[in-house]
Amino acid sequence: MSKLAVTPSAAKTDFDLSPGNRSKRRGANLKVARPTSMSVAGLYKSYRKGKLEVPVLKGVDLSVAEGSFTAIVGQSGSGKSTLLHLLGTLDAPDAGEIHYCDQRIDNLPSKQLEKLRNTQFGLIFQFYHLLPELTTLENVLIPRMVQDGFIQYLRNKKKYVQRATELLDLVGLTHRLTHKPSELSGGEMQRTAIARSLISNPSVLLADEPTGNLDAENGAEVMDTLHRLRDQENLTLIMVTHDNELANKADHVINLVNGVVAD
Amino acid sequence: MYKLLLSWRYLKTRFIALASIVSVTLGVATLIVVNSVMAGFVDQMQSRLHGILSDVEVAAPLLGEITYPKEHVAVIRELLGDDVEELTCVVRNPALLSFEFHGRQWTQQVMLMGIDDETFGKVTDFEPYLTNELKRERFSFELEEKGYESKYQPSGWEYRRRVAENKKQLADLMQQHQNAYDVAAASYVDATESNGRVAKVDGPDGERKVQLRPLPAKVPKHSEAAQEGIESVHQATTIPNSLAAKSSEKAQKVSPFDPHAKLRPQVNPEDMFDARKDQYTGIILGQAISQRKTTDADGKIVDLYMVRPGDDVQIMFPSVGSRAQPVSDNCTVVDFYSSNMHEYDSTFAFMPLSALQDMRGMIDPLTGDGTVSTIQIKLKEGANLDAARDKLIARFPPSQYPYDIHTWQDTQRPLLSAVTMELTILNILLFLIIAVAGFGILATFFMIVVEKTRDIGILKALGAPSRGVMSIFLGYGVSLGMVGTGAGIVLGLIFIRYINNIADLVAFVTGQEVFDPMIYYFSEIPTIVSPLMVLLVAVGAIGIAVLASVLPALRAARLHPVEALRYE
Ligand SMILES: Nc1ncnc2c1ncn2[C@@H]1O[C@H](COP(=O)(O)OP(=O)(O)OP(=O)(O)O)[C@@H](O)[C@H]1O
Ligand SMILES: [Mg+2]
Repeated sequence: MSKLAVTPSAAKTDFDLSPGNRSKRRGANLKVARPTSMSVAGLYKSYRKGKLEVPVLKGVDLSVAEGSFTAIVGQSGSGKSTLLHLLGTLDAPDAGEIHYCDQRIDNLPSKQLEKLRNTQFGLIFQFYHLLPELTTLENVLIPRMVQDGFIQYLRNKKKYVQRATELLDLVGLTHRLTHKPSELSGGEMQRTAIARSLISNPSVLLADEPTGNLDAENGAEVMDTLHRLRDQENLTLIMVTHDNELANKADHVINLVNGVVAD
Repeated sequence: MYKLLLSWRYLKTRFIALASIVSVTLGVATLIVVNSVMAGFVDQMQSRLHGILSDVEVAAPLLGEITYPKEHVAVIRELLGDDVEELTCVVRNPALLSFEFHGRQWTQQVMLMGIDDETFGKVTDFEPYLTNELKRERFSFELEEKGYESKYQPSGWEYRRRVAENKKQLADLMQQHQNAYDVAAASYVDATESNGRVAKVDGPDGERKVQLRPLPAKVPKHSEAAQEGIESVHQATTIPNSLAAKSSEKAQKVSPFDPHAKLRPQVNPEDMFDARKDQYTGIILGQAISQRKTTDADGKIVDLYMVRPGDDVQIMFPSVGSRAQPVSDNCTVVDFYSSNMHEYDSTFAFMPLSALQDMRGMIDPLTGDGTVSTIQIKLKEGANLDAARDKLIARFPPSQYPYDIHTWQDTQRPLLSAVTMELTILNILLFLIIAVAGFGILATFFMIVVEKTRDIGILKALGAPSRGVMSIFLGYGVSLGMVGTGAGIVLGLIFIRYINNIADLVAFVTGQEVFDPMIYYFSEIPTIVSPLMVLLVAVGAIGIAVLASVLPALRAARLHPVEALRYE
């Protein structure tokens, strides 16, 4: 836990999330032993349903190294999605701490959390979660729209569209740019969601069964892409999966049983 | 960016929300139309009400007098200083007006105003409401040759001369007839005297000779002396030519049967009143005094004027003083006063101040100064009427002076406040319509927020702040409100632009006049569109739309991302 020690200045100031700073850090650490990207200690989470309390996570500890590929496995209902949401700061834990880049993030003010989610984390949901009113391309661009102000976005739009097209090309959806989610297949929607999660060049990708709805070939292709991104851009991959084969390829496998990490 | 994009997409894909905005559109349109029409009404009414009422008035009690008016005027001028634009003295008293129409005498009550023709028009809005255009330009109490509106025709000098000529001919004819009888009777008496045919009557003082009138002789057709209007008399009074000739010659001499003839002063015919050339004191009547509205054979409403400019009328009223005597005199109607305020048009009659003072005995024989009954004051534009009134009351306290000092608004207070209240209530009711529309928006928006719960979760998961999510729905509400309000304004303005055509159309379809001119006295519906009112309505409507979308937007902002994502 000594690694989690935070310098006083870093604790006081905002996250320095500028891309330059980030890449410098990555470059500096690429060849050396990988530092911890995310770590979790004593995480508790329970859902309340009236008077009935449903404990889901009962003290989860884990540590994820930068640029590593971690697979989370476990039975259905074991709390994998819950853990991923907590890591992605969508929800606050009942107890425990979550650290990202040596800084505690579970108790940050919402404004910084929003920025963190928008720029550092790429999220892929179990059920795609695309916006039905928007086209494939617009759905991919949404994180950039959220990130920039009106004018700024218009100024950067060309760059963003180019990047989005690249990403959609990567997942093989160039022919579906102007389709609405209702006109896409489940796999196409999932691939759109993957493209969306990568648009703002995140350093951590939190994926909830990203290949669950893809056939073997497409699934393998997506996984190849993710691996490539991990290698090229030092992307940290945390992925929930049911697929043993996939899990076997991971650097780490975390098995959730009864709300704790089983060895 | 995503806010605009999503607001726009929600707007485009959810036309049902537009339906909820239709009520805003209708509410805004109705508010604008009602306010404009009411403003038009009130404006017309105010200017009509103000009409012959001066800004501030110092009035003696009815039939009472203000003595030393000149001194009063001086005091008032000094008291109000620069605020005074003009002052005028008026004598006002109830009077009876009678006139002849279709051979019958009609009498009715009027409020007679003796006005100073120099200053009265400057103090009140009197002259613009005169019907003769020449009088509007240069006011006088003289009958005009022309300039009277066509609906009052025939009128003016032309008409007066014709009527007078007819009357004169009729009178001449009667005179001739009388003379003819006289001649006939004389010759008859001559004859009977020679025949010894005298009627003998037993009287109290014994036997008396009585001359017998002869039966009218059967006569040939008379020359074309008589004209229209007197045929009936004509037929009864045809005179043989021979006799007529004889009578005119004899009429020069003194009739033997007129015992007072010798006593009558000899008047130079030049000096005698001749209605063909002369008029009595001019009087201006409210047009409704002699007006009757009737329907003609086709059921159309027509105005019937029993008296016209050029006709003579009689006025009668009590003189001033402790022992009032009725006084009466002839007047010649020189014009009508038509403010289209029935209350005024049916009561007021105007004549020269000095003539009325003279008739009522208000002029002091020693000084030649007359008393008046009210002093009317016009204040400069923008002067505070109530303040001026209060100053005057302080100077002429009711404990010492029997004066009633009031502004024109005081006089019409009940009516004005009734209209104001009516407008207020209408506005409240109509705004409630928009408020109801607001609840429609509220419900619709809540539905949309509920429907969009998962999208909100996604946006938040991707880092959109709560404020951003909120502004999507606020922006949605504002744009719907603006669209609805804009459409409402356009609709309302178009309605006002064509309101008279619409009224005509409604009248055509239903067969019923929307505003019966018999009751409302205007042919067109008056409207005034005040930009401020439109702005207020627009701001109010958009405000309600925003308010109605705040709650759903807040709910959207408060949604927990994970729960929102789980929402199915
Ligand atoms: N809002 C909630 N209220 C009550 N219980 C909840 C709530 N959300 C999740 N749970 C419970 O928490 C447990 C863990 O749910 P979670 O979605 O994390 O499972 P999972 O491991 O992702 O399962 P799967 O593999 O099927 O996706 C489940 O038993 C679920 O019933
Ligand atoms: Mg799950």
